[in-house]
Amino acid sequence: MLQSIAKLPLAVALQALSLLFSPASAATITLSIPPSPQIPNPAALPPSTHATLTALGASFLAPLTTDNTFVFRNVTPGSYLGDVHCATHGFAPLRVDVISVTAGDDDKKTGGDGVSLRVWETFRGNDWENKGEEIRPAVVGGAFPVKVLGSKIYYTERGSFNVLSILKNPMILMGLVSLALFIGMPKLVENMDPEMRAEFEEQSKKNPMNSLMSGPQPGSNPMGNFDVAGFLAGQGSGSKEESEPSSGNGGKKAGRVVYVWKFTDLAFGLLFFSSDIND
Amino acid sequence: MHLSFQALSLSVLLALPASVRAVFQDEVGHIDYHHELLGVPQRETTFFHRPRTEEKASLLYTLSDLGVLGAVNPSNGALVWRQLLAGNVTDGGGFLRAAEDQTWLVGAYGSSVSSWDALTGRNAWSLNSNGVVKDVEIMEITERGGKDVLALHQEPGATVARRIHGADGHVVWEHREVNKDIPLQVSTSLDKVFVVTLHGSLLSYSLKVMVLDTLTGKKLDEIPLGTKGEVQSPQDVMFVGANSAAPIVAWTDNGMTKLKVNVLGLKSKQEFALPTDTVDVEIHAPHTIQSSPHFLVHSRTKPGHKADVFHIDLKSNVITKAYELPLLEGGSAFSTSSSGANVYFTRVTDNEIIVTSSTSHGILGRWSLKSGAEKLGALHGVSEVIKKAEDSYAVRAVVVTDSDDWTQIVNGELGWTRLEGLSGAVAATWAEFPQSEDLARTLEAEAHSNPWSAYVHRVKRHIDDLQYLPTYLQSIPKRLLSSIVGSESTESTDEATRDSFGFNKLVVLATKRGKLYGLDAGNHGKIVWSKNANETPSGKHWDVKAIHADNAKGLVTVRGSEGQFIIVKSDTGNTIEAMPSSLFPAVDGATIVDSDAGPWLLPIERDGKLGDVQLAWAPKQTVVTRTGENELQGFRYVEKDELASPIPVWSFSPSTGQHIANIATRPQHDPIASIGRVLGDRTVKYKYLNPNTIVVAAVNNKTSVLSTYLLDTVSGQVLASSSYEGVDSNKDIACTLSENWFLCTYYGQYQLRDSEAQNLKGYQVVISDLYESEVANDRGPLGDAANFSSLDPIDIPTGPAIPSVVSKTFILSGPITSLAVTQTRQGIAIRQLLAYMPESHSIIAIPRMLLEPRRPVGRDPTPAELEEGLVKYVPAIELDPRMTVSHARDVLGVRSIIAAPAILESTCLVFAYGVDVFGSRVTPSQAFDILGKGFNKVTLVATVAALFIGVLGLGPMVRKKQINMRWQAPM
Repeated sequence: MLQSIAKLPLAVALQALSLLFSPASAATITLSIPPSPQIPNPAALPPSTHATLTALGASFLAPLTTDNTFVFRNVTPGSYLGDVHCATHGFAPLRVDVISVTAGDDDKKTGGDGVSLRVWETFRGNDWENKGEEIRPAVVGGAFPVKVLGSKIYYTERGSFNVLSILKNPMILMGLVSLALFIGMPKLVENMDPEMRAEFEEQSKKNPMNSLMSGPQPGSNPMGNFDVAGFLAGQGSGSKEESEPSSGNGGKKAGRVVYVWKFTDLAFGLLFFSSDIND
Repeated sequence: MHLSFQALSLSVLLALPASVRAVFQDEVGHIDYHHELLGVPQRETTFFHRPRTEEKASLLYTLSDLGVLGAVNPSNGALVWRQLLAGNVTDGGGFLRAAEDQTWLVGAYGSSVSSWDALTGRNAWSLNSNGVVKDVEIMEITERGGKDVLALHQEPGATVARRIHGADGHVVWEHREVNKDIPLQVSTSLDKVFVVTLHGSLLSYSLKVMVLDTLTGKKLDEIPLGTKGEVQSPQDVMFVGANSAAPIVAWTDNGMTKLKVNVLGLKSKQEFALPTDTVDVEIHAPHTIQSSPHFLVHSRTKPGHKADVFHIDLKSNVITKAYELPLLEGGSAFSTSSSGANVYFTRVTDNEIIVTSSTSHGILGRWSLKSGAEKLGALHGVSEVIKKAEDSYAVRAVVVTDSDDWTQIVNGELGWTRLEGLSGAVAATWAEFPQSEDLARTLEAEAHSNPWSAYVHRVKRHIDDLQYLPTYLQSIPKRLLSSIVGSESTESTDEATRDSFGFNKLVVLATKRGKLYGLDAGNHGKIVWSKNANETPSGKHWDVKAIHADNAKGLVTVRGSEGQFIIVKSDTGNTIEAMPSSLFPAVDGATIVDSDAGPWLLPIERDGKLGDVQLAWAPKQTVVTRTGENELQGFRYVEKDELASPIPVWSFSPSTGQHIANIATRPQHDPIASIGRVLGDRTVKYKYLNPNTIVVAAVNNKTSVLSTYLLDTVSGQVLASSSYEGVDSNKDIACTLSENWFLCTYYGQYQLRDSEAQNLKGYQVVISDLYESEVANDRGPLGDAANFSSLDPIDIPTGPAIPSVVSKTFILSGPITSLAVTQTRQGIAIRQLLAYMPESHSIIAIPRMLLEPRRPVGRDPTPAELEEGLVKYVPAIELDPRMTVSHARDVLGVRSIIAAPAILESTCLVFAYGVDVFGSRVTPSQAFDILGKGFNKVTLVATVAALFIGVLGLGPMVRKKQINMRWQAPM
């Protein structure tokens, strides 16, 4: 975006600056936002994007520069929590350690004189020593790339009315199938040849459900006092005579209980899922 | 089993929307409003600048009196970008310069100099130093072609001038002069750098000009300028001159009769007479080096103002007066605009705008202002003059008016206006629209007269009302249609009145510049009225200590710290009573108290002292004041010599070494819908609901220990206290209190006292629930008693009923400040914690269910707990962007958030102020009592129509089938 501003001398100059104005053993830390699949063009990030380093009794703030970096100057030794605040994207929190190096124990890491820098990913709500992957500085300039998690979503979609979405509902599908059976069955029976039809009707007389489905048939109603609500509620008032002793009934009940539990599991799962998103 | 499943699904249904509640895209701009503000632009730090040399369009830049650096599109007044220059809201001052034909701006505040990209608002470099920045200038010509920055710093015992590389921000050279001078300004000409300092002691300064070499910063010369005691303070030197070819320094004598001007680098000075009765002098000169060395002296007298234009001869350095612009009545604003060598002066008076060239007094353009009824009252401004043809000019000026607005004028036509006066708000309150007085009075009259005459009166009134029937009937089809199509708007009427949902409310806002505003919250925060409420001397701000709206009388009282107060009508802003400062003792604050004469705002004097009051006005409650940095006292009023005087009844101090960081009190409106919480096993935990409680947070700077105390305000008894280690006392500590819970937020870094040592670091929130007893179905020592006394112990060993406290701490993904709790009319809807996220510039509503102290730790919740909506405790709470009330809006510098209930139980009105003004509506338990935009009336009508058609179509078919069935032979 800004070709006029030379990139390499900046880092050099900043180091020189930190030498000029900083107390002894204070570091300059540069975080950078490299182009990534989530942010193909970091230059388009809003100017309010900034990063902070916080620790007990200390906090540093750096605005986003034209080079897509955050430059912290005069950072005293310590272990800092690094956050990148952006209106459009979320970034992983960092652990930034500024370690003052005694003579001899020379580290290769960049920083000011007499300090070494180490940066890890960290996990919120976990032990501070529980570090994630260490982030290595870039070869040129020594900036530590930050990891973008994704873009922020501020809005929820309103559930819109759609005929297709209604048709996708399994309950509606079941209803439609039974409707098709209800309308199509008599037609199908009519088109059968007489022998098969007689056989079918014989069978349907034995099956209480079929008689229910094909409407009240005067005269031929073996299950005239069949209680649908009772059947569904598992009371079995109507089916007491023909159902086997309690074992069968119990089996049915158990099956339904499992079914209910499956529903609750689904609900729990949803609940956890939603809380996972938010926590 | 069935029962629990039902209850469970209910709780799941409740929990789900609560955790994913977000703003719908189509509600944006409908339920919320946002004034994106900068603050009032300052005279020295506002200008037009082209951010890209290759493009002609220029932007308008300013560093406002709140320290907001921003760019505004001059064609429509829209904000392009903004930054808080110092990282937080400041109190005026600062420097901002732009270099011609460069892409950057340079700003300075405090000890830091920073450079910003003019188009994108990104930071280019920043430089911190030990001293305080006193001036910043652009060095237009450098040896390598680019442009550099000159910065003047004041360090203890030294004056430091630095030349900073414009592109990358490294120091080219530094000149350090060890002396006790006061550095004033830095200026540059083609080949020299001038540093102007004040030499000597207070009230008898003389000016000293140091001449530095541009290449090395070596001192070439030092020129003392005698001022004969005319310069008594740095403010007396009016102008040090710009980057014109011949920079000048100017000051006046003590009586404002003569203007003295010195061309920098010379020893001599020239004197010019000023008009009689001059009260103020300003000098305007072009800032570019190729411009002609002309300048304009704008002298304000009591009745009017005039201007003189001077030319500097570059060869002889002699200043001559070229011409003068006539004295005009009223105030005006002058501004300079230069293109090439030409310099234009634009004069904006109350009724016209005049452009002259610096070379001759001939008027190049004159436009009369087509403003409305209001007088413009320009204070200062900037302008751009464009030569369109040989004799035709166009001018656009942007002026700051005395109503703190920022208005653009294009050739006399008023363009956009930015309501910058709303920024810098220090206090705000909700106020109801006063009810229609006529109706109220009539109803009252009817109530008090005898039944028959009241009945006759009522019938007559209803007959009178019949005249409105035809218009009402006429409006029905239109309303019906608009309600079906969904185009109905709440902002249809211009007049602001109450509405049936309670969304239309007034917000009375006081700013630190002494202005009061009435905003209509139901109409996108439109300004209903504004007024200048407080005459403050310049540089002093209106320190509002309390603001209170009396909705019964329709009055709003605002109290300042100097004892001044003003009472205005909330709907019109008309002053009822006003008291200037220092007639009454200075106050620390004020609080609402109940008395026999009704509720009123009791002022609390300095150091928490309370004055005697009339017996009728004696507060009935215990009044708690902060009598010292670390002491609270409770006072009761007792009768003494026909007056009521306060008697201290208790005092509270935190542990030694701790200082009070925050005090949270209950909101005025805090209804409790249910006194207990039903647990999963159908037992009830009863809430500890003591209305007389406050939370005090005290922190020790040395040991970093934060203690929170829950105090009973009647007895002063500490009901609950807890301590937290490793709390940063330099970062914000905020608390809030509502219903039966309180919470505090802070930055913590400490080691857990677990078996396995764990370190934690980050922003945290600790929430505590208060219950009457630790066990369910138990009402504690008080039992079912209807009354209780904080002073009478229940049983001697335990003293007053102590709540049982359940606490949990959560780690947040960022800091939150300005805490508030949503309020609804009956308190049935769940509560949300409203907070400002200073790093994300947004307002968040965190559901109370997320911050639940009873969440089970280290195990999965039991089905009974799940039924209550308790999920497993996880220490980290990611502040989800979908929880933000302000969604993608960038709300800058929020100082406080206030909430108010609407008439609808589901809805709470939210208003945030500070730099920006933002308002919205939140529905913590979703909008269960109002149809939102998601309710598609067209679909509903279409569905009903489709069903009707279906019935019409199927009816004959079914009838036919039934008849056929009857006629079928039985099998």
